[in-house]
Amino acid sequence: MHCLPEATLLRVLSNRTSPPVPANRTERASQKKRRTPIALFAIPAAIIAVVVVVILVVSGGADIPIIGGGNGQDDEVPPFDFTVKKSLAVATVVDADTAALTAAAEQVGQEITPTIDDLFTNAFLDPTNWREGDYEEVFAAFASEALPAAQENVETLTLGVTAGDLFEDVEPDKGSLAFNVLFDPEAQPDTAVVTFHFAAIGERTDGTFVRLVSDGQFFLVDQGGWKITAFDVTRTDRKMQPLSPSPSASPSSS
Amino acid sequence: MTIAPRRRAALLATLLVAWVAGSVLGATRPEPASAAPLLQIEPAHAEFAPVLDGSEPIFVLVIGSDARPDQAVESQRADSLHILAINPARHKATLVGIPRDAFVDLAGQGQNKINTALFFGGPDLVVATVEQLTGLTFDYWVMTGFEGFTTMVDGVEGLVVDVPFAMDDPKSRAFFEPGVQRLSGNDALAFGRNRHDLPAGDFGRSENQGLLMVSALRQFKKEYSKDPSRMLIWVGSFLSNIQTSLPLDELMTLAFTGTAINQNAVTNVVLPGSTGMVGGLSVVNLNQTALEAISSDLAEDGLLKKKNVPPSPNASLVAESS
Repeated sequence: MHCLPEATLLRVLSNRTSPPVPANRTERASQKKRRTPIALFAIPAAIIAVVVVVILVVSGGADIPIIGGGNGQDDEVPPFDFTVKKSLAVATVVDADTAALTAAAEQVGQEITPTIDDLFTNAFLDPTNWREGDYEEVFAAFASEALPAAQENVETLTLGVTAGDLFEDVEPDKGSLAFNVLFDPEAQPDTAVVTFHFAAIGERTDGTFVRLVSDGQFFLVDQGGWKITAFDVTRTDRKMQPLSPSPSASPSSS
Repeated sequence: MTIAPRRRAALLATLLVAWVAGSVLGATRPEPASAAPLLQIEPAHAEFAPVLDGSEPIFVLVIGSDARPDQAVESQRADSLHILAINPARHKATLVGIPRDAFVDLAGQGQNKINTALFFGGPDLVVATVEQLTGLTFDYWVMTGFEGFTTMVDGVEGLVVDVPFAMDDPKSRAFFEPGVQRLSGNDALAFGRNRHDLPAGDFGRSENQGLLMVSALRQFKKEYSKDPSRMLIWVGSFLSNIQTSLPLDELMTLAFTGTAINQNAVTNVVLPGSTGMVGGLSVVNLNQTALEAISSDLAEDGLLKKKNVPPSPNASLVAESS
């Protein structure tokens, strides 16, 4: 579509609505009334256009949520899986079949690992959770007796309820698990303790980067599905320097 | 007041510009640092353990059989007997040693030394006898012998014990200088068996056995605080080397509860009494007044009031050593 320059447009509009100037002051005033609003709206429109153009130029075309517009944020959940380092069986009888228990402990580790993968993904990586500060899916991993304590410690166990104000993006760095599995005298798994190390890189809204680290242990008991019955978790966040010209694309550990 | 249409239009236009410009600028300019939410930079810690917290005391009878490695633990004599009373709500506990030679009424089996109850009726008779003696009702019993004890201690890589005074007893092989040291299973057994160079004999030995249990609690808590998964190693080593009426899930709950017990608030005493002879047997006649006072005090909340704490049988040795 062909666009007229703004000055030309104003002139054209002005010409099109310009009758002979009346002698009567009242009539002149009434005619002014009809002419003035056009200028009043056209000038601000031009100012708005200039302001928007300036902002776009200054911001380098970054995502800008103009009134009512989409936020432009990427809600894709970054893929993440823990690496299982070891699974140790703990017997409660003297003459236990160590090899069989070790294999069973590895099996238990495999059963629990997806639960822990999901827990940390939901707690730190899923943007739809941390942008809203809603971690319902995280708490599903906890047994009823541990649930209230988990909810009270939401700021430590997750990215936090205000994470949406703090972070632009969070990408996983690395994670490792080690399992200790206690077997009852009938060689059935009773309690598993998973020792975890989780690290992620968070890009803050102010452009700085933070290394998010969560270390600790979960006690899990099979209650028709492995549930966390006890926990001991330490969260350590450390400021860090951006690592590449476009760090949000593929952050890596320091 | 009325606003002329032209001015109203101008005002609206100005507001529109301000609104759009403000929105755009607000969306692109970072907030001042002072207004931004603070980032959690200091380490944050979260923990939860399913500890018992009721005020009702928990009573456990701890039975040490003198069974040697090739003997059945449950059919020998109970040379070590302790009442463990736990007050979960107050994070405190009491250990009451019962002299092995205490001459008592074995429940339904006539009078004899209390250590023979195990021989005559296994742990059930021991429990029934101590319940009859004290009026307490035990929730659980645990029992081990020489081999189980040493293997259990070695399973947790030894016990760190503050040996209160020097020991030099060839019969039990207890040779220790006073001070904090890590005892192997055999060393801990020797420490707990030594009575020959203690002035109060079996009374002093019983107190030292209680000291081993308090040391175990201290060490368990220390290891748990550094690495909670160590609890499984302790529970595994414990269960593998004992007999007990404690189901595994309740043992786990007690273990968690143990992490909340203040080891410095564990009162370790021995029932007082005097030695005597009955039909050619060397026995201990328990001090009935002290027995009743301690028993009724324990029944209340699992704890002992100061006035009911008997003197330490090893007090003179501890005083000499310090």
